[in-house]
Amino acid sequence: MTGEGVAAGTPGRLRGIDRALPVWVAVVLVLVFLMALPLGWLVWMSVSTEAAGPTLGHYAAVLQSPAMLKALWNTVVLAFWVGLASVAVGAPLAWLTARTDLPGKGVMRALVLASFVTPPFLGAFAWVMLAGPNAGLLNVLWRDVTGATEPLFDIFGMPGLVFVVTTYTFPYVYIMVANTLALIASDLEEAAAILGAGRFTVARTVTLPMVAPALVSGFILSVLQALALFGSPAILAMPAGFHTITTQIWSLFQYPPKIEQAAAISMPLLLATALLLLVQKRVLGRRGYAAVGGKGGQRRTIPLGVWRWPALLGCMAVMACAIFLPYGILAKAAFSRAWAQPLTWSNLTLGNFTFTFFEYSATRSAIVNTLELGIATASVGAVMVALLSYVANRRLIVGHQVVAFLALAPIVIPGVVLAVALFIAYTRPPLILYGTLTILFVAYLTKEMPVGYAQSDATFRGIPPELEEAGRILGAGRLRILRDVTAPLARSGIIAAWCFIFIGVIRELSASIILFTPATKVMSVVIFDLKEEGQFGAIAVLGLVMLALTFATVGLVQAVLGRDVLGVKD
Amino acid sequence: MPGVSLKALTRRYGDVAAVADLSLDVKPGELVALLGPSGCGKTTTLRLVAGFLAPESGEIWVGERCLSSPRQVVPPERRRMAMIFQSYALWPHMTVAQNVAYGLRFKSGLARTDRARRVTEMLRVVQLGGYEARYPGELSGGQQQRVAVARALVVEPEILLLDEPLSNLDANLREEMRFEIRRLHEAFGITTLYVTHDQAEAMVISDRIAVLERGRVVQVGTADEVFLAPRTRFVAEFIGKTNLVEGVAATPDTITVGELRLRVGAGGLKPGARVALSIRPHDIALATPAGAAGPGVNALRGTVQRASFLGDGVDYQVRLAGSDVVLRVAAPASQRLRAGDPVDLRIDPAACVALAAEERA
Amino acid sequence: MLPIVARTLAFATVVLFATLASAQDARVEAARKEGKVVWYTSLALPSAEKVAKLFEAAYPGIKVEVHRTGSERILGRVMQELKANIKNVDVVHTSDAGHFVMFKGRGLLTKYTPAGVEGFPAGFKDKDGYYYGLRATVNAIAYNTKALSAAEAPKTWKDLLDPKWKGKLVTAHPGYSGVITTHVAALVNLHGWDYFKQLAQNRPMLVQSAVDPSGVVASGERVVAVNGGDYTFYQTKKKGNPLEIVYPREGVPLVVSPTAIMSFAPHPNASKLFTDFTFSREVQQVMADSEGLYTGHPEVRYPADKPKLSELKLLTVDPEELEKRGEEIRKRFVEIFGA
Repeated sequence: MTGEGVAAGTPGRLRGIDRALPVWVAVVLVLVFLMALPLGWLVWMSVSTEAAGPTLGHYAAVLQSPAMLKALWNTVVLAFWVGLASVAVGAPLAWLTARTDLPGKGVMRALVLASFVTPPFLGAFAWVMLAGPNAGLLNVLWRDVTGATEPLFDIFGMPGLVFVVTTYTFPYVYIMVANTLALIASDLEEAAAILGAGRFTVARTVTLPMVAPALVSGFILSVLQALALFGSPAILAMPAGFHTITTQIWSLFQYPPKIEQAAAISMPLLLATALLLLVQKRVLGRRGYAAVGGKGGQRRTIPLGVWRWPALLGCMAVMACAIFLPYGILAKAAFSRAWAQPLTWSNLTLGNFTFTFFEYSATRSAIVNTLELGIATASVGAVMVALLSYVANRRLIVGHQVVAFLALAPIVIPGVVLAVALFIAYTRPPLILYGTLTILFVAYLTKEMPVGYAQSDATFRGIPPELEEAGRILGAGRLRILRDVTAPLARSGIIAAWCFIFIGVIRELSASIILFTPATKVMSVVIFDLKEEGQFGAIAVLGLVMLALTFATVGLVQAVLGRDVLGVKD
Repeated sequence: MPGVSLKALTRRYGDVAAVADLSLDVKPGELVALLGPSGCGKTTTLRLVAGFLAPESGEIWVGERCLSSPRQVVPPERRRMAMIFQSYALWPHMTVAQNVAYGLRFKSGLARTDRARRVTEMLRVVQLGGYEARYPGELSGGQQQRVAVARALVVEPEILLLDEPLSNLDANLREEMRFEIRRLHEAFGITTLYVTHDQAEAMVISDRIAVLERGRVVQVGTADEVFLAPRTRFVAEFIGKTNLVEGVAATPDTITVGELRLRVGAGGLKPGARVALSIRPHDIALATPAGAAGPGVNALRGTVQRASFLGDGVDYQVRLAGSDVVLRVAAPASQRLRAGDPVDLRIDPAACVALAAEERA
Repeated sequence: MLPIVARTLAFATVVLFATLASAQDARVEAARKEGKVVWYTSLALPSAEKVAKLFEAAYPGIKVEVHRTGSERILGRVMQELKANIKNVDVVHTSDAGHFVMFKGRGLLTKYTPAGVEGFPAGFKDKDGYYYGLRATVNAIAYNTKALSAAEAPKTWKDLLDPKWKGKLVTAHPGYSGVITTHVAALVNLHGWDYFKQLAQNRPMLVQSAVDPSGVVASGERVVAVNGGDYTFYQTKKKGNPLEIVYPREGVPLVVSPTAIMSFAPHPNASKLFTDFTFSREVQQVMADSEGLYTGHPEVRYPADKPKLSELKLLTVDPEELEKRGEEIRKRFVEIFGA
């Protein structure tokens, strides 16, 4: 990035875009408003009482309650193991697809992508049908085959929860590691090989240390994911009799609500998240690990030899757990009368579809709400992040670093905590948004902003300022340039940002579950409702609809960007 | 110290043969340069020798061991070689000392103290004494290159492979490093294969040069041989600048080009055959006004078409009278002719080298 | 065969009756102008949707917006909306009578007596006329017939404490369901909290809705449901699932599910029309026939394969008691069972 040239010319630029300055400033203010206001209320609520002044009583209540402490502990355990397991699964998978001659790499990448966009709560739900200790199909199969009485695997419980969350979290590690591996030239490994190191010694002494920052970063991202999930713990932990912080916060909203305690217990979650992100930034910031030296970034594949087929088998096993088995059982449940019974002709029915779309009154409005919110959030969000990242990239205003920081800041707030904050902020005058779709819109916009920003930021980084300067030298004004040069080049990146936000919105559960009202249900909430009534068929149908919507959008992104949406270069 | 023997190696990429029936013998302790333009197969050859690629046909022998054949390839880690890459391939997460020491851990019988001692010693040899604790990211290009050299030499390999190691350095450093590498070669005497596209580099560094064209060795010889007696048009044009003159042999030692007759020093031409001559611009002298041509020296007349003053000489383009042959002449700056001036040229027959007949252009 | 014919006839009669009635009733016009009724109900989803569709067929032009969730969730919803000044709901119907005591106490209900409830038993009527019992069910035990024979099945509530049932039980949650709140209250009155402490030792699976245990037992995921609305068990059994119901001799907790119109209902006329409809003999008969529910209506005939209320020993809990002890019950349950 030509920082020097830009800095030198900044005063001139400012003069040129004074007219547009209010727009930028307004957008920044909106950002601050979105984030600061609810968080302020959250902090205030955690120390307030109805009558008296500020108090630490809520914190005391939370920290002294055995149930809360247990929930905190469970959350830590869950997050830690998910982090480890995600690294254990994601890193080797990334190495195999990025570096070796594993067959079917393209398929594998597509499957990892599918795993990445599958909502974890759908996966949890599918795994209940697969590995419930008595009726779960895999356990039934196991008992039939081996004659055992005990199930092979009871999905209800911490191990089951860790397992399911990991299958949908490992893609974070995969992406980080694969992208880093793409930067490491093969020369480095060949140099070690010719000096005498065998294949695995090379991996251990050269590749692994260079990938270490990506591993740590992936671990942290996985931990953050696990901390913030609501659906999977609600489905797998509560029936087994334990809570995580997110389900605990949610249960505090049941009547009679204890909002202050919910606020108090949100704070440690928020602080933990912020801390982890800080650490992650530090770790990634050590640039020294980028490839150093002269020309030569070619990457050649490592032959696996006799390990080829076992490796492929391992990868397929992971994909079976993430995709094949869950999607299969969802399809089965969607078309069966009784999901636990074998798929015979008499069991086949379209009744679930009729029920879901025609007899269950909540479905249609939920689908409409979801689509409306998805499109609105994505559209507004895409425009906002485009403006923000343009401002930040071209350093158009003083304090542009703050812009980038604010745009990415919401990633620090787990969905449930954000919902609590928004609930507190918008159920009181002057702005009562609770009960409308608007409050959901605000929640989604805040929550998905970072992912949209990251994409549009990358887009503008890829458009060197020289391209715009070349036009301006020839006489075109800044806005003209935006229209003729920047917009066409940025178009596909912004569309991709739109799609990422859209996908994020349609599968959002942890904030929606707190902010919805019967009049403003969205698909994920309806699915959750149906779970509480054991309506497996309807859940499966809606789940398939959600997946179809997601994959259609993903397809759109790939068509538009012309490359793998995970950003893994070939 | 063993030598390297490449026997009829072939290796394809898709339909194209990167290396086609390539044979070469490198004597023990010799430094042979693999010289050629990009795409000629020199890097592929090097990687075949290193064991990163397997030959489709042919064999690679090092001393008494056959290391590569279509059936079996000894993996790189067991070939007792070392390689210096174009990108240096220094590991950024290890210090200079750790980089250099890496290969020593695979040598049995070396105590840790011995390793450390060898590392320190080698760094001193490449004039990086005291840099042990630095990281590659903190070093300049030239320093990184010397670490790469140290890392390769410290393991006392049987064969040393270098893949265009100087191409990332700026011109001055490159010149300096050429001599440095030659010095190290003479000090350690390891059998070496050196890949480069820069003929000046090859001529300075190597004992012999193997010129590669399209996957084959077209000429092997010392710098003298290759420069003064190129065998093919390709070699003549690739090594240094040259004029190519085509004519028909009249007698065993003369050819006719249009109305001109040129005497060819080596003789042995087949009368009536088409012959191409290579004449180096430096070998064409401008006749002094007083001088007459010596016996047997080719005396030609022509007109200067273009004159470029280069500081340490002048580059002329001269059209010969009586034909449409244009010769490039490199003359000292003592005489300054201009375009349009008539000029007499003197060419020693020994400087007219007949090239081998080629079926293809 | 016969039940199907009976049901169709009942349906037809309902539609006919209502259509005739509607031609005469001016109130119907007012209701039509309002256009819809928003119904927060804890009645099982298929049953609730069925009642809604019946109403819509009888009164074209008036939609019923069904929002089904557990009784305790409905309470939370209503209170939350109230606090945020959202007036969305017209008719509230849950299985926790305590809610209605509280609503009445805060002046949140419209006083309205549906047509035809004079003959209902006292337990189905609020003496002040604000809420009436729309349906009733009892908590019973259910077991999977493929896994257990009738002889092996538990016969009493106390039987469930036997360690041999460890890992094989499923319970619903008073934090979600009013039916279960009543169950827990009744059993605490019968056997004390120690009963549940011991039950927890058998590590039952925790589900939320009183509808859920029937599915869990039918699928074979767990073998015995320790509570649940008997109407859901009945429906599941009728669909051909391998499930059988046990009405313990110690007594079965009776759950009368009241319904009321909120004082701030945005569609008051439609609400009253809807309420009348649901209390009509025809609709109450439909609830008894196809949904397996008990009702307060004296003229409703019940299926032969269901025990009559008069044959069962009923454990009742006062609505006032439910209102006072509701929170305590939920809290202790969570403490004992973990979530």
